[in-house]
Amino acid sequence: MKKAARWMLVLLAASGSGFGQTTDKASLVRRQQELTAESELAKETKFYFVLDVRERNLELRVKGMALRTWKLRSMRFWGQPSFSKTVQLVRKSTLNPPKRNVIKPGETTASKDPAKFELEALELKDMPLSFSLEFDNGLHVSVKAQARGLKGLAGDFGWYAVLPVRNMIDTKAGKPISELELSFENEKDAQAIYWIFFEGIKGLVY
Amino acid sequence: MGKRLLVALLALAYLGALGVVGLSYYTGLKQAAAWPPKAEGASLSDKDAAKVQKNIQNLQKKIGALQPKDVYIVVDTGENRLYVKKGDKVIKQAVVSCGSGDVLQDPTGKRKWVFDTPRGEFYVKSKITNPYWVKPDWAFIEEGEPIPKKQEDRVEAGSLGDYALGFGDGFFIHGTLYTRLLGRNVTHGCVRVGDDDLKEIFKIVPIGTKIYIY
Repeated sequence: MKKAARWMLVLLAASGSGFGQTTDKASLVRRQQELTAESELAKETKFYFVLDVRERNLELRVKGMALRTWKLRSMRFWGQPSFSKTVQLVRKSTLNPPKRNVIKPGETTASKDPAKFELEALELKDMPLSFSLEFDNGLHVSVKAQARGLKGLAGDFGWYAVLPVRNMIDTKAGKPISELELSFENEKDAQAIYWIFFEGIKGLVY
Repeated sequence: MGKRLLVALLALAYLGALGVVGLSYYTGLKQAAAWPPKAEGASLSDKDAAKVQKNIQNLQKKIGALQPKDVYIVVDTGENRLYVKKGDKVIKQAVVSCGSGDVLQDPTGKRKWVFDTPRGEFYVKSKITNPYWVKPDWAFIEEGEPIPKKQEDRVEAGSLGDYALGFGDGFFIHGTLYTRLLGRNVTHGCVRVGDDDLKEIFKIVPIGTKIYIY
């Protein structure tokens, strides 16, 4: 009986180490792919982003340096999001896009009396709390700050009722949707992403 | 009879809807189960794994070599913050004022200015003590004043503070009279810094220092 138990332990240990090696090798290959893709982006002087789905982390980077990091509160998806190569932001859309203030010549008091100056500007707080990012590979990312109340319910209805049906229809047609939703605890995080992410920005999602 | 038919139809529609939702969730869950896609590498030999490991180190070195070796400046235009960094370490940070995003149209309709702080990679091109501001056309148009013909009529002392770091196209990191507006988006594109902070930054950064503005 004791002998059998010992053999069982040996077998378990052997199978466990084998699994570990496979996982390590797979993660090595994955890391190589990620770094190869990033080295291409880092060569340029432009900013790019890295969305690490596994770590739930979004970073703005330049030349491999992280300039800004956002921690995701939660993430969910429908369909078959494909993250195999570099993506490029094609369109940023929201229901109420922020509007710029148009200066009327001669009406500014800025240079005359600093104490009387009144601020009319486009600031971070004017950015939307929820918006969509559409990428060139068909990936559609919804970004939002944690919505509560009716707004949250309406969003959930769309997520749990509309998208699954759309996904099923599109899957039957051979083109499943590629929908990702990123939620942030802090309103400012979602607004900062709208502020910083420009149309044309390239990035990696893995 | 009509009522029974209606109830039967409603029940049928309800069951149909349930079926569609059920099928949708079945499709979605099947896709979710297959995600994330299986990583390659399970069949990698130990020799190949060592090669991959070496390649990873090379790639990390290659990317690391692209990063500034000396101090560099990072400006967050949304948060109105400036950081002087070396590697990952923040040497100095300051509350600043960046571009207002306002739009000014020349009354003739020929020119238009958008007062955003430019974003991207720049470098310190000039370091100036006691800078004078050579007011561009938009400064006169904004105030409803005629654009002067003589260059000397454009020169204004004091408004840029004691120091300025030029980073191209007439944009500067400079001092300000409007200290109560630090932390707000208020400028015509330049980055305004409080006098004490600017004095320190001016000392730390040499010409050629990289500036990353986002």
